[in-house]
Amino acid sequence: MLTEKERERYKRQMMLFGDEGQERLKNAHIFIAGAGGLGSPISFYLAVAGIGTLTVVDNDVVDQSNLNRQILHYDRDIGLKKTASAEEKLRAINPDITVKVIDATIDASNAHLLVGDADGIVDAMDNFTTRYILNDVAIDKNIPLFHGGIRGFYGQATTIIPKKTACLRCIFPHPPPKEMFPVVGVTPGFIGMVQATEVLKYLLGSGELLANRLFIWDGLRAHAEEIALERNPQCEVCGDKHNTNREMI
Amino acid sequence: MTVKVRFFARFRELFGGDIITDVPEGASFMGMIKEIAGMNREGYDAIFDDTGAFREFVILMKNGKRIDCANAVQTPVADGDEIAVFPPVAGG
Repeated sequence: MLTEKERERYKRQMMLFGDEGQERLKNAHIFIAGAGGLGSPISFYLAVAGIGTLTVVDNDVVDQSNLNRQILHYDRDIGLKKTASAEEKLRAINPDITVKVIDATIDASNAHLLVGDADGIVDAMDNFTTRYILNDVAIDKNIPLFHGGIRGFYGQATTIIPKKTACLRCIFPHPPPKEMFPVVGVTPGFIGMVQATEVLKYLLGSGELLANRLFIWDGLRAHAEEIALERNPQCEVCGDKHNTNREMI
Repeated sequence: MTVKVRFFARFRELFGGDIITDVPEGASFMGMIKEIAGMNREGYDAIFDDTGAFREFVILMKNGKRIDCANAVQTPVADGDEIAVFPPVAGG
């Protein structure tokens, strides 16, 4: 049940999706992998939207060079763990939700446990190694993975629904080379908002998800487009062979 | 025949945006991209490896459909085709 305070806080968005929609958000648990450029705007907006439980995982410390884009962290936070900084900001911006932070490096051995009973995983990572692990967990747990990636003024996003859409491995079988990528804060801000919107739509059951669609954004040209995607039946993660093996086990 | 080639992300920085190119009948996907990429050494090296094969992370699309890099040699292009060549972006 929503409290009177919550009804007032969410009044303007409940004009869109009513008590039922707001209850759905309140009862949801979203796992946000990363409290950096993408994770900052995503966690802020999911917090103010009233997602009942947010788990934010990061292993890093706030650095001066993060502050052009990682808006969860302030100048005064330099040297603090990003999880501590994120927890403070998210609790301050919405004390009516539960914020859990975990200072950890996501790897294949702990990812299942970290994600726990979350209803969806937000990919706010900066590398494909961890993204592939999150993809595996999403497929195993049959929960969506909200993917985003950025470089410079350019970004991409898609929503992966296990058994229904191409998974991250189907779409990107091989990662791009590692690099110190250039970035200006507006790009993760923009792509993060696409991902956060996808989370809300998924939880509310409304609209049309970026399912089997890769959204690509060129900020320099202010041009967005999308590319149709399809599952790869031979995919090593979600392909038919893999699923058959899993069913036999 | 005329084909439109669209580069994205880092490839767009190296080649510019959309390239409209005239290609001979029977041209292959691979041959056409190599010819365009040959205009820019850094761009060529970003897309192709030392053996002249597409780097494995490169994503190729023809008229919105994915083309496997391994099949790019055999895949013909036709008048009016729209080709997209792009790398995934990894930052976050």
